[in-house]
Amino acid sequence: MTPVLEAVRLTKRYGRRLALSDCHLSVPPGRVVGLVGPNGAGKSTLLNLACGLIQPTSGAIRVLGAQPAADPAHLAKVGFVAQDTPVYADLSVAEHLRLGRSLNPAWDDALAQRWIARIGLDPGQRAGRLSGGQRAQLALTLAASKRPELLIFDEPAAALDPLSRSGFLDGLVELVADLGASAILSSHALADVERVCDYLVVLADSRIQVAGVITELLGNHFQLVADRDGLTEADLPAGVELVGPTHGPSHSTMLVRTLCGAPVTGPWHVRPPDLEELVLAYMTRSERPWTGSAPMTPEVH
Amino acid sequence: MLWLTWRQFRSQARIGLGAMLLLALYLAWLDHQVHSGYSDTLGHCSGHNSCVGPLAAFADHYSFPVDLLGYLLLAVPGVIGAFWGAPLISRELEAGTHRLVWNQSVTRRRWLAAKLGLVGLLSTGVTGCFSLLLTWAAGPVNTVLGNRFEPVVFGSRGLVPFAYAAFAFALGATLGLFLRRTVPAMGATLVAFAVLQILVATAVRPHYEAPVRTSVTLTSEMISNLSMIGTYGDIAGLHVPGGPWVVQTSPLLDANGHEVGHGAWYQDCTNNKSLTEMPKCLAAGNIHVVISEQPADRYWTFQWIEAAIYTVLSVLLAALSFWCIRRRLA
Repeated sequence: MTPVLEAVRLTKRYGRRLALSDCHLSVPPGRVVGLVGPNGAGKSTLLNLACGLIQPTSGAIRVLGAQPAADPAHLAKVGFVAQDTPVYADLSVAEHLRLGRSLNPAWDDALAQRWIARIGLDPGQRAGRLSGGQRAQLALTLAASKRPELLIFDEPAAALDPLSRSGFLDGLVELVADLGASAILSSHALADVERVCDYLVVLADSRIQVAGVITELLGNHFQLVADRDGLTEADLPAGVELVGPTHGPSHSTMLVRTLCGAPVTGPWHVRPPDLEELVLAYMTRSERPWTGSAPMTPEVH
Repeated sequence: MLWLTWRQFRSQARIGLGAMLLLALYLAWLDHQVHSGYSDTLGHCSGHNSCVGPLAAFADHYSFPVDLLGYLLLAVPGVIGAFWGAPLISRELEAGTHRLVWNQSVTRRRWLAAKLGLVGLLSTGVTGCFSLLLTWAAGPVNTVLGNRFEPVVFGSRGLVPFAYAAFAFALGATLGLFLRRTVPAMGATLVAFAVLQILVATAVRPHYEAPVRTSVTLTSEMISNLSMIGTYGDIAGLHVPGGPWVVQTSPLLDANGHEVGHGAWYQDCTNNKSLTEMPKCLAAGNIHVVISEQPADRYWTFQWIEAAIYTVLSVLLAALSFWCIRRRLA
């Protein structure tokens, strides 16, 4: 099966600033992908590359097996909701639908009308007067009604209040399921990702830190808990990779990744991590000048 | 794509087309006045032996509105470039709506082609209509004055306004694409267009064909129409019968080709005679000047050359924006 998104040594520079560096990624179809990472990690850059708004400095990116935005046929297969959900302030809701109808050969007008009615948008209302939540819903309707195979959302709910955010995410999930499409959505809100996504990509410090199906990731990562400072990387058995240690007042915890089941034998007890611990461990790792092979030096008191 | 382009441009277009309509009505009325005034004047004076006086009075009567309209038409392409061209792309980039429209099933090139095509056509059309109506209405006045080669008149008649409009529009759109901000793009468009217009009229246009050097004997009537007679025989504003474009004028020369400016006779004429007597006094000295001119029959050649130059520049700008929108935009 063709990956919906495939990046090989993907690099993007803005002047001297490196936004993405040497990224490798292959996302299988049929997933709702959550792209998480701190602000400025390169999430928007990756998504803008994926929909062809910008070009890579080096490396390659392929979306649905082709170069992004290569031709009208490929543009028709990808729906994009940009950050801050831009719409034409002067155009009414109905005129936005007309825009979508006239610019997309596969436009599903019934879907668009149904969705506008369901979220309660007045077709005669000018888009400039819509609330943030309504504007996001309009942008979502436009992107979905062209019946794309892949929907990309760049921080779609970032500026919304909790109620509109919840409504927006529900709509998103329902539309993606209706269309049978894949979706990629970036967010720095882990709760949103946990709620709608089944595949996770952690992007930090312009690099992909980890990517995979969420249930599988939770299945092959473990938290090892021991007395404070009673744990060093040297204690870990072969085949167990340390992702990140955290030191609490009385306990130390290590998030480890292994492909051969939980490492039960050792001076620790094992518990499964939650998604937040997993994501934070990978984000924190990117901030430390730490190479995977160097031994950890425990703090000495 | 055309629907969206028209929908976004609608309110600006209404203002522009409305202003054009009012102007067209006025020009139609002016045309009627000028042409009937011209044939009346010719009818009245044909019985007498000279038409010069009555025709000069006729031209004088209409020169104010005609001059004013000429200046207005010179400004129109700049205004179109700033208000129709510059916001065309920069407004989308500023509002971020390019990220919406570029992700519909239409390539950026087609999007740009629709925008440049529709609005560019309207820009050229509106300016061109104005030019044709003015050329038509002011025809008799310019014929009497023999001044259609003068920079302001040349730039506001015939073909060149079409090309100016196309160029100014393309310039505005391209600057908008590069600067990405509407107001700076508008300002840059106005400045760049004005500078180029002045540069072309003063430094480029005189060289489309090699000027002809010729000697012109000054009559007292030509002397009285000069805009400047200097203390030492320099003159400016020479109008030569037949309407050639006088590019350069020598100081006043006597029959042997020597400058007369420092002679006692010249000083006597300029210092001791009244303004009405002076032209006769100078003309009696049998003086001439050597001028380089573009003969009147080169007028349409010059119009075509200048229109071609601006058209080529517009095409280059459009090509640049097509290249740029694909390559370097975020």
